[in-house]
Amino acid sequence: MRQLGLYVLLFAGLVVFAYPFVWMAIATFTPEAEIPELTLWPSRWTLAHYRLVFDRIPIDRALLNSIMVAVAVTTSALVLNSMAAYALAKLHWRGRETVFTLILFTLMVPFLLLLIPLYTLVVRLGWTDSLLGLIVPFMANATGVLILRQSFLTIPQDLLDAARIDGCGELRILFTIVWPLSVPALVTVGLLTFMGSWNEVLWPILVVRELKWMTMPQMVALFAVGGGAEGQLGPQLAAAFLLALPIVVAYLFFQRYFIQSFATGGLKG
Amino acid sequence: MRQLREYLGLVLLLSGLLLCGCHRPVSMPAPAEANVRLVYWTAPNPDEVALARALVAEWNALHADVQVVVQPIPAGQSSEEVLLAAVAAGTTPDVCSNIWPGIVHDFVKAGALLALDRFAGFDSLWNSRIPPTLHEVFRAPDGHVYQLPWKTNPIMMLYNVTLFKEAGLEQPPRTYSEYLEAARRITADTNGDGLIDRWMGYRDIRPIWWQRYFDFYAFYIAASGGRTLFDARGHLALDTVASNRVFEFFARLYAMGAFPKTSLQGGGGPFIRGQLATDFTGPWHLIWLEKNAPSTLRYEVAPLPVPDDHDGPVYTYGDYKNIVIFSTTRHPEAAWRFVRFLVSRQADRRLLEQTRQIPVRQGLLEDPYFASVFAKYPLLARFAEQAAYTRSVDSVPDLKELLDAIAQEFEAAAVYQVRTPSQATRRALRRMQMILDWNA
Amino acid sequence: MPNPKSIAVSLFGRLRLRQSGGLGGYLLVAPYLLHLTVFFGYPLLFSLVLIFYRWDIITPMEFVGLKNFVRLLRDDLFFRALLNTGLFLTLHIPLQIIVALFFAELLNRPIKGRSFFRAAYFMPVVVSGVVITILFQQWFAFDTGLINRMLRALGGEPVPWLVSPALAMPSIALMATWKNVGLYIVLFLVGLQHIPKHLYEAAELDGANAWQRWWHITLPMLNPAMVTVVVLSTIGGFSLFIEPYILTGGGPLNATLSAVLYIYNQAFYFNHMGYAAALGFCFALIILVVVLLQRRFVETDTWS
Repeated sequence: MRQLGLYVLLFAGLVVFAYPFVWMAIATFTPEAEIPELTLWPSRWTLAHYRLVFDRIPIDRALLNSIMVAVAVTTSALVLNSMAAYALAKLHWRGRETVFTLILFTLMVPFLLLLIPLYTLVVRLGWTDSLLGLIVPFMANATGVLILRQSFLTIPQDLLDAARIDGCGELRILFTIVWPLSVPALVTVGLLTFMGSWNEVLWPILVVRELKWMTMPQMVALFAVGGGAEGQLGPQLAAAFLLALPIVVAYLFFQRYFIQSFATGGLKG
Repeated sequence: MRQLREYLGLVLLLSGLLLCGCHRPVSMPAPAEANVRLVYWTAPNPDEVALARALVAEWNALHADVQVVVQPIPAGQSSEEVLLAAVAAGTTPDVCSNIWPGIVHDFVKAGALLALDRFAGFDSLWNSRIPPTLHEVFRAPDGHVYQLPWKTNPIMMLYNVTLFKEAGLEQPPRTYSEYLEAARRITADTNGDGLIDRWMGYRDIRPIWWQRYFDFYAFYIAASGGRTLFDARGHLALDTVASNRVFEFFARLYAMGAFPKTSLQGGGGPFIRGQLATDFTGPWHLIWLEKNAPSTLRYEVAPLPVPDDHDGPVYTYGDYKNIVIFSTTRHPEAAWRFVRFLVSRQADRRLLEQTRQIPVRQGLLEDPYFASVFAKYPLLARFAEQAAYTRSVDSVPDLKELLDAIAQEFEAAAVYQVRTPSQATRRALRRMQMILDWNA
Repeated sequence: MPNPKSIAVSLFGRLRLRQSGGLGGYLLVAPYLLHLTVFFGYPLLFSLVLIFYRWDIITPMEFVGLKNFVRLLRDDLFFRALLNTGLFLTLHIPLQIIVALFFAELLNRPIKGRSFFRAAYFMPVVVSGVVITILFQQWFAFDTGLINRMLRALGGEPVPWLVSPALAMPSIALMATWKNVGLYIVLFLVGLQHIPKHLYEAAELDGANAWQRWWHITLPMLNPAMVTVVVLSTIGGFSLFIEPYILTGGGPLNATLSAVLYIYNQAFYFNHMGYAAALGFCFALIILVVVLLQRRFVETDTWS
């Protein structure tokens, strides 16, 4: 009996957390007047909302921008963070501990403090309304360095020494030996960085004004807040659904990695 | 050392990859011997873009030596933000016709604009086109003129004739009492579900400062007989009596439920569906109404209601958009010629026809040249009549924050009635004075 | 597009370095440090300078000394924003902990389909805040919102979720809890699964009932996870921005004006860069103090 009660509660939780998404998905195909109705199933299915979204805003362009920015940021973050993490974990050089403390310190400073000067820097460099302004400031991050360093520390020193004796340079060691042994950590950092970049909305709002360089969350947010949807619910929900779709699809396939990455990131943070 | 060289190679490679993502700004340097090329920014809405393209096509055909390129201000967030970023980055166009007077003060301080009164032919243009009542309004504190008034959108009351007739009212309300009485009769729950679904009007109650143009600020200008927030010498001079009356008026409307406190679907939808009896809007809305209103809808335009003891003409807020020439231009004389073309009679008539917005030109209604347009769109004539009795915003720094202070009090006193109108006026004044002191 | 890994390998296959001695270390860490200097160090320093100036980007900077701080102390809107943020945290964190603990305990039982449920609860965490906000904008709407319609169908009164100054921030706290609790469920679950079973067996032998076992074993052993949850929620709560930005614009009557939203308005609406920098500086100090206090009071040394 207790088992039944348990499952009832679990299913209740399932409804609470999953039903809104189900509702949203169906609502985007429901005629505008019926959306506020209590019946979930529409009387007829319509594509009008999606048509309006695609008419009004270049959401496909925004999707492309988001993908390009997230991929660029993630790739460069993985490379730069690995290099720094490897140097901090496995190499010996003067000032190593100082740099490590410095990196720890950067975690304590909230982004808000840097927002205005970073914005003016980007304006002066002429990087507004371009992907550069969205990519470059985020090409490396401290959390990534910490997670990778933690993982690199566990790599047996003998492996590295053997490779050095064979004549390998440090960079080659990093990418051919250390990386394959640190796949979980790399996946974690990669996923966290990707998600962070994808969902970032405050920074693009500041730096990008032209529609054609906007990222997807930014464009959807402005569509909802501004008058683009003419106050209609259907198109707003359709735009939101389009925004959620790529991540949800990826999540459905790779949920284990998502959950693990966020949990690790949380613990390190 | 070899490793250093190879290392630098990697750095250069990465930098090269990065530079591929570079996005170059649009303005190209003017070639030495070829024709002059001007960049002209217009507002991003479709009607104005179409107008701009038509005008520019005409200009380009007539002037082979000065070619103009039209660019809509990048759509996205507010035009003012885009312009500000352009000024900061030095990527401003030659000419822009979508300048809200409120930002001119800051731009002049930043040295971003050219003084127009230095150009040849300015005086005759100024005197012939601009109504005398506006001559001093748009002059900067240093005595020069940096903005040429182009068009205005006076805020008036749009009303549903049928709904009023059904409530037994043949005339549109002229005073607050008449408006409140009409509200009492018209506000109703038409389908008996216990919720009001027909209101007298609707305002976006979020405390967004520019929304107040369409309620508090417009009504304040009307109630005060044409005063704005500052006097001619630049001192804060709020007409507290008018302010109290406006707060009181809207408070009564919200208290009786005549204006909904929740957000309705935006655009003009509720009005054309008969859910709203009135709407405070400008002539730009006429095009949308023509396209979307059902043929059964009968609507008219009237001046804003004023306090019962008001006499004299009814003023209102005129949403002006002005033309400027940015100081980054390489061809000031050519730009000035183009600007004169933009405000010529032919261009003004095009403006009227294509966008239904009122050019800032005196004698619009008397000039037979424009008669055909007004004959075709009689409601437009009402707006044109009102245009002579409009006020713009004061040209002061921190205007936005001042209006924001008023918006806060409007929300408190009118929408939520947690303060009395006189308390709200006092607090607004206090905060505005604080803002002025901080930024002195 | 060539694989960066292969480029690096081919270019630097012959890069020889001594094991200790550092040049390799410096070179490898240099790009990161360069990025740090340009995009962290410089902005931080500039920020600390900016708080003594008045600047609106297009005109030259104007030195005003401590005037920004004088203004700050008299700015009732800033204090309101701080209060709102505090209210949000006070509602959000306990609710989060209770709900997360509840579901983590459920998931910790021997059940089938644990990963399925866990994945479902976690999904709102990965979805963008913009999506969640638009969704709840519709659900919280007063007349056409789904929640109120359900209430009315059940015979109740519609609730002015976002329109009432008293309920607006709690509504946002509710929404934020819904979005983030999945992550904390996972964190607590990991913590629960690490508690050694023999502790419970020993306690049962000693005659402790379920409640006592929970209070004296589970909670203390969960302390590290609890600290993490509290600190993460706090830092997340302090950066509340996009929800009020989309839902309410900071209203009604400034009830949902969060600190970040206010600073954003000052900087990018009114162009008071120096003042906004000063606000940000104070706010960062407050965050630091709060987080340090939390670690001190929530961590185990002070628990027993």
